[in-house]
Amino acid sequence: MIENEDFLKVAIDVAQKENIDEVIAQRIKGKTYQIRFSNSLIDNSKIWNNDILELFLAKGKRTTQINIEAPTPTKIRNTIVKASKFLLKLPESFLYNGMESNLQTYKKLDQIFDSKITNFSEKAPELVNAAIQTSLESGAKKVAGVLYFGYSKTELLTNYGNKGSYDGSYYRFTIRSFVDAESSGQGIVCNRNLSGVENKFIQVGPKAGEIAKMAVGGTQGHPGKFDVIMSPTVAANVLGQVFDGVNPLKIMIGMSPLKNKHIGKQIASENFTVVDNALLDNGLGSRPFDVEGTPTGKTPIFTNGILEGLLHNTSTSKMEQAENTGSSIFFDFGIGSKFLAPGPSNMVISGGNYTLEEIIAECKKPTIYLTSNWYTRFTNMMDGLFSTIPRDGMFLIENGEIKKPVRKLRLSDNLLRICSNISAIGKDVQQIYWWEVETPTFSPTIKVNDCTITAATQ
Amino acid sequence: MENGKDIADFAVNYGVSHGASYIEARVVDSRDESYASRNGIILSGGITYSSGIAIRVLANGGMGFCSTANLAKNTIEDVIEEAIKLAKASKRKTPITFSDEKVVQAKWKTPVKIKFEDISVEEKQKFMIGIDKILNKEFRFKLPTRTFILDLYSDEKYIVNSEGSKVESENSIISTVSFNTAKGKAGGEQRMLNLGGTSGWEWIDEENVVEKILDDNKCLVKAARNAIETNLNEVDVVISGEVAGIMAHENVGHPSEADRILGREGAQAGESFYLDLIQKGNLGDIKIGRDEVTIIDDPTRPGNSGFYLYDDECVKARPRYLIKKGMLNELLLNREYASRYNTKSNAAARAINYKREPIIRMANTYFAPGDFTFEELFEDIKTGIYMKSFTEWNIDDRRFQSKYVGLEVYLIENGEITDTMIRRPILELTTFGILGNVDAVSKEFNSPHGYCGKGEPMQGVPVWLGGPHVRLRNINLGGKNK
Repeated sequence: MIENEDFLKVAIDVAQKENIDEVIAQRIKGKTYQIRFSNSLIDNSKIWNNDILELFLAKGKRTTQINIEAPTPTKIRNTIVKASKFLLKLPESFLYNGMESNLQTYKKLDQIFDSKITNFSEKAPELVNAAIQTSLESGAKKVAGVLYFGYSKTELLTNYGNKGSYDGSYYRFTIRSFVDAESSGQGIVCNRNLSGVENKFIQVGPKAGEIAKMAVGGTQGHPGKFDVIMSPTVAANVLGQVFDGVNPLKIMIGMSPLKNKHIGKQIASENFTVVDNALLDNGLGSRPFDVEGTPTGKTPIFTNGILEGLLHNTSTSKMEQAENTGSSIFFDFGIGSKFLAPGPSNMVISGGNYTLEEIIAECKKPTIYLTSNWYTRFTNMMDGLFSTIPRDGMFLIENGEIKKPVRKLRLSDNLLRICSNISAIGKDVQQIYWWEVETPTFSPTIKVNDCTITAATQ
Repeated sequence: MENGKDIADFAVNYGVSHGASYIEARVVDSRDESYASRNGIILSGGITYSSGIAIRVLANGGMGFCSTANLAKNTIEDVIEEAIKLAKASKRKTPITFSDEKVVQAKWKTPVKIKFEDISVEEKQKFMIGIDKILNKEFRFKLPTRTFILDLYSDEKYIVNSEGSKVESENSIISTVSFNTAKGKAGGEQRMLNLGGTSGWEWIDEENVVEKILDDNKCLVKAARNAIETNLNEVDVVISGEVAGIMAHENVGHPSEADRILGREGAQAGESFYLDLIQKGNLGDIKIGRDEVTIIDDPTRPGNSGFYLYDDECVKARPRYLIKKGMLNELLLNREYASRYNTKSNAAARAINYKREPIIRMANTYFAPGDFTFEELFEDIKTGIYMKSFTEWNIDDRRFQSKYVGLEVYLIENGEITDTMIRRPILELTTFGILGNVDAVSKEFNSPHGYCGKGEPMQGVPVWLGGPHVRLRNINLGGKNK
């Protein structure tokens, strides 16, 4: 039963009265909380009262997307009337080839909502302070981080009669512990449900503190060719740049290292298997339907290193004669107006057979172990030429052992080369979602051979 | 907005009577019209209106923030009570305090000649399609992929706090982004060009936007077709205002942010290497670069993307001299961090919309012009490079280890800029490596637009990062990613 079906119906009815051909109305209502902390103290606690009606209108191949905050029937009517007039002044978009028009049913994703979340704000500050305390007790001198949590109801109605709703809850916690200004470590924990959340918070603080302690006394590292071990956090960011490019739109505009000719070809190491899975119980990107009302599912991206295909919505699947993967989102380029295009849900990299300790022990060549990174940027996105900055503990491994902490290095390499040089995958798959990883990614530790490491020249 | 102002006033009174030692309310009504095109075909267009209130409180030494688009009084009461409750629950051992600032009642607005609403949708599209026609006619297959975004943002804002300050403002920002790929012998080159300013639609003509985009793409195509790999090692480097601007922003502006220095961004954008310097010396006494280096962050420059006259904490804006003649001179401060340093705020608090807290941000950051003419910068360079634009860049989270990859770069030989273009030379330098090797700055000035990302949730604020040409001596070029 859709609680606010009336609002959605009002939107569809008004749009149809304005002679709009196709309409999507999606309302997301809920609360988001944030607790930010630094220097081992809570800096700010925030609450966002979210209530947004997202509308998509199409007249032939003309499309526009608008949002209405705190919707009321009057706001909905006025906004749609204005937007309909605006829409008629737009030219046809070659990208738009229709939306989901078949009547669909959806799987129930009961596990993505935990009712305990509605009272979590009562104990969240205590849990944050407990995590800070355990990290300090493990040797950290100061601790920073952020906790987000919240819940929302998402309701969808389209002019084709597709309707659905789901409740979602989540928390995500990042903690960064410092022993000194340049010796730090980070831990991440996130989930849809609150089971065992107290223990997870208490455990992740010391984990960050341990990395920070290991990083003490780090010295300038040497540039050169090294094998690199990426923690799940680093792998999610670096390989996430490839996953972002599993998108026909991004390929078309030169924002992806992938090409259509790669589909069906082995472009990654044989041990590399990835799916986009929108139906995971604990995935922060899980959803039963996309914004068009197409049911979501599990889409193979890489199987044993072979690029299986791209993510698609109705329009791109028609353009490229591919299967619709139920991946439609309201897409933008960071700024600018939104339109329908494919986007990821949860990216899941299959775990391997190794523990981190085993991967380290088998390093015969000098190897750099990266625990975290940030600021990934490209010289050329089509070629996949990028660099990223390691942060937090970074370690030189020699003869199968962590030899010493190193600092001030940069991973400067090529995404496709990295995909094809994966030599070991850990079994430690962990959901990563933080400031530098915006698509929920289930990632293990990953070792890549022969990477280029650079450093400042002066 | 009139209703919004009443609600904001109500919110402040309600917060004070319910346990907030400080409360500010910020109502923002905004309009964002934007279009995206690919190869001259409009992909999308939309106008989004937004209206809501941000409320920030201090209670029992803690800080709480809430926002809502629902301006009903009972909703406002609920969110304020919850914000106060959360602020108290933080149980800080050291309370958050704000610096004492002058109580102000002020209004400011961006000078606008032609409002965005007064230009037809058709004319806006004609502008976009027209640019692409020019590029396509000029370059054809040499520039096969062209993406263009036009964004027209305007807002009205009212900020009131429990100390009695009230500031009303109207802002208008126009910006374009072009992301193009040029084909060349050695592969492709890509360029993201941001242009923008605080202005109305007149900016398009006054700033010669079409000409700028055409010229920039000429350089992109030229770089893709002509640039060659070289094995240059130690060279003198002349950088344009665009490259100098990004360095001023990344290597000096960001580490000057007091919230970073004191750790508030520790788990996000990181801290600052300035912490080490400030622990060992006092502002004004710390040498950080050559005497030729003066770097200013000035929000009061009309037309520039980071223009404002009062910040989001009702503090009057003024130029901030971050580095003066090579000496670390001033930090970027909001009221919280001014209090920590026992000084006054220099009005660096900004929030991108009503859903975000105001945090310390740069505005318009630049190397101060010097005494050299453009030609004089090159006169005594035996071998060097002239880097006019850049592609990839990044910097570590203490803002010390930076990397800038050149796009349009020319070889300098015997005091002359040659026609030889160098492919993707890399400046991989520490901040000291940059500021310690500047020996000349030109008189003329350039003003690129950009977005600065910081905070959590991310707040991408419009900024301006430019300046004159700058000469760096004896620079070792960095390693490549192959």
